[in-house]
Amino acid sequence: MLRERWQQVPPGMRDLLPQEAAHTRAVTDGLLARMRRWGYREVVTPTLEYFDTLVRGEGTEAGDRLLKLVDRSGALLALRPDMTPSVARLVVTHLRTEPLPLRLAYAGQVFRGWESGAGRPREFAQVGCELIGPSTLEADAEIVALAADALASAGVADVSISLGHVGFLRGMLSEFGLPAEGEGDVRALLYQKDFVGLRALLERYGVPPPRADALVALPTLSGPDAIRAARRYVDTPESQRVLRDLEDLTGMLDAYGVGRAVRVDLSIIRDFEYYTGIVFEGHTTALGFPLLGGGRYDRLVERFGAPYPATGFAVRLDRVLAASGRADIPSGAPDVAVAFADGQRGQALRLAQALRGRELCVTVEILGRPWEEMARGAIAAGVSRVVLVAGATAVVREANGRERMVAVSDLLDAPGGAPWSS
Amino acid sequence: MRTLEAAGYLTAGSWQETRRLILPCTDEPVRCLIAKPVDLLTYVEHGAADLGVAGKDTLLEQGRDVYELVDLGFGFCRGVVALPRARTGSWDALSPIRIATKYPRITERYFWGRGRSVEIITMNGAVELAPQVGLADGILDLVMTGRTLAENGLVEVAEVFRSSARLVVNRVSLRSRAAAVQGVVERLRAAAQRAPSG
Repeated sequence: MLRERWQQVPPGMRDLLPQEAAHTRAVTDGLLARMRRWGYREVVTPTLEYFDTLVRGEGTEAGDRLLKLVDRSGALLALRPDMTPSVARLVVTHLRTEPLPLRLAYAGQVFRGWESGAGRPREFAQVGCELIGPSTLEADAEIVALAADALASAGVADVSISLGHVGFLRGMLSEFGLPAEGEGDVRALLYQKDFVGLRALLERYGVPPPRADALVALPTLSGPDAIRAARRYVDTPESQRVLRDLEDLTGMLDAYGVGRAVRVDLSIIRDFEYYTGIVFEGHTTALGFPLLGGGRYDRLVERFGAPYPATGFAVRLDRVLAASGRADIPSGAPDVAVAFADGQRGQALRLAQALRGRELCVTVEILGRPWEEMARGAIAAGVSRVVLVAGATAVVREANGRERMVAVSDLLDAPGGAPWSS
Repeated sequence: MRTLEAAGYLTAGSWQETRRLILPCTDEPVRCLIAKPVDLLTYVEHGAADLGVAGKDTLLEQGRDVYELVDLGFGFCRGVVALPRARTGSWDALSPIRIATKYPRITERYFWGRGRSVEIITMNGAVELAPQVGLADGILDLVMTGRTLAENGLVEVAEVFRSSARLVVNRVSLRSRAAAVQGVVERLRAAAQRAPSG
């Protein structure tokens, strides 16, 4: 019974048991390896940053959702809520002299200070990448294609990427000619995705119905006809340019071979203050939450002192784990357990080490149990083979109980573990 | 349920006799779940349900990440602050004011937004009782006709929000099942516009 506080973890935090940890590790390494294949090099930044760093990156309102602490000198620190501000700081302070573009990847735990409950963790893992330097559509295409490729490589079926652009909404809002506080109210309702409230608000500000209709129709502006439908609603040069960019981008994504997984979706609503161009989310039908999110953020690195445009995305690892196939999860049990007769310790340890060299997971008996008891216990715990080293020969017992005698020298020399396959 | 009937998803009266929580619909690919109002947004936010019908009051209180697309035009009520008649004159001066409510987050936002300090006493029902037994100075609760307030000697001093039933949609369903979900949204929008409001 877990009753005392010291037996619990804080709300929104969790332990990973061996099997989950193995799954998490495999997917994390797989994603980073995939990104490395595209030329993205991993960087690691500290879990704790100065509050000032994170607020510079995320905006002052983000201060509320940070988990903060005060160190012994009185400085205010915070746990990172996202990796991008840290990467931006790292680029500006350490990689200023490197030639652009910079292709960087990361994997790490991030923290959110919201009240727990409703299935919202306060700590979770993100794996992501940033493409820093170019502001071209080619760069956006690479990032979106890599996002689709990474999700597919993690074993997520039915990946779809919804592709939008903050410029479309921004252009629409600028046409309304709202006073500053009205625009703030509209954005607040957009973030809440409250389209009922939006209609009422636009009416109150006297926005003419055709324009108000366009904004309220936003959730329908997705799919193959989205761009054509959107052209009917907006006619500013800014919006036209945005729609042209989206068209060009989908063409490039076809060339990348991921066109079928990508759909234009102008209803994607992500932080207007942060993103400056393309925005996208990755989904699968199996899960009600986005698996990844990203886009172009051309002003963030500038806040840290270098005018670098940038684009990138972050994968929510917990959601990818929930959505990816569980068939190939390793059980975590060792492949081989080795026991030894009196005086055979040295021989047994040499055998164990040789087998480890062949990528097998090997444990050596340390409880001094009789062979029969040890073998039964190990097989019950999921070990596939048990070996008793007795002089020059060894007994090998399979999980099905079959036993055979093998010369230890055969076990040691066999390339690729031939004696195991008989 | 009547809106779902009007939109042709449920046959008339099919839901009244049963205690089942999942109802088959006349339209094959659609199933209808019955959830407690406070839990409904959890189903939709997690994608366990693609769409849901929820009161604006729970949307405001829970602040979930769902698309709110249609005002279905029924279940009208208002969220108000009410105090015992004898204290209404001095309610501006109470600081902190003690408020009993089922809506702690709305209450906090409302009073903070007016620069007032508030002590919130969260309750699950029969909120009107609290001020009568000295547990709170007043309440923030839903009213439809105002009769419950009157019978408990409470008087409305401020309107905080107006509520009605809203159609909400999971953010992934809106994309990954766009055609089917938009179809349901449009049928319910049309049914809501046909129905007499109230």
